[in-house]
Amino acid sequence: MEPWRVWLTNDVIGAPQRTDGIAHPMFCYYAAMAGLGVSIDEMFTLCYASADDGPMFGECDIKQLRPLEIGATYTVRGEITSAVRKQGERTGTFDIVAFQLEVVAPDGEVSSVVSNSFIFPRRP
Amino acid sequence: MSSILSPSVGDELPRLVIEAVDAEKMKTMAALLADSNPIHWDVDTVRELGMGHQPVNQGPNNLGYVMNMLGQWAGGAERIRHIRVRFLDNVFAGDQLEAGGKVTAVGDDGTVDCDVWLARDGTHPVLAGTATLSLV
Repeated sequence: MEPWRVWLTNDVIGAPQRTDGIAHPMFCYYAAMAGLGVSIDEMFTLCYASADDGPMFGECDIKQLRPLEIGATYTVRGEITSAVRKQGERTGTFDIVAFQLEVVAPDGEVSSVVSNSFIFPRRP
Repeated sequence: MSSILSPSVGDELPRLVIEAVDAEKMKTMAALLADSNPIHWDVDTVRELGMGHQPVNQGPNNLGYVMNMLGQWAGGAERIRHIRVRFLDNVFAGDQLEAGGKVTAVGDDGTVDCDVWLARDGTHPVLAGTATLSLV
């Protein structure tokens, strides 16, 4: 949770720049994604897709069990929880891939749990 | 920290307006996340994909606006305990957005459940979901 990264991210989403060391709860998501172990591109590749396919965010579920602290080091663990193929009128064939990530504090307690799904259009 | 709020079911949360989504901030976020998806900065790609004529905002940014709305109301975004949203439509550079919500339940333990939403031009929903906050 590097302070410069927190500052820039707050600036992007219009969040206040706090001085009490507590990170915005969107960092439950950002920290989880930063600790994914692979880049977003590599994650797309794991899902047999690329950024050029126009993947989209489907759902996001964030449990903030305790606020994340700026400057602290967290560990992330997680897994893909489902992959489902669907058909849409506008999108055509697409896959929804869901995964869950836990952000674990230095004391071993889980600080947040993030469940995401991405939509991957499967154009012929 | 105690709360001065005493919400009731049906209360509307104070709305937060984003006057115009900034394309430059999408580029910053793409760099921060090492997100190479060109729809966030390359208008030609957006057009080729039939998605519109402006860069597409990152979905998490849209969720961040809703969290900001909740934090302004509750006295700090750290009071958000749980939030679950669906991304219903894309948000584009230049869009005006409005984040809002409504109280759906108030618990004896100081928790409050809300429906939350984000809408383009105050009418077209782009994100919807639920949130639970702790006000004690």
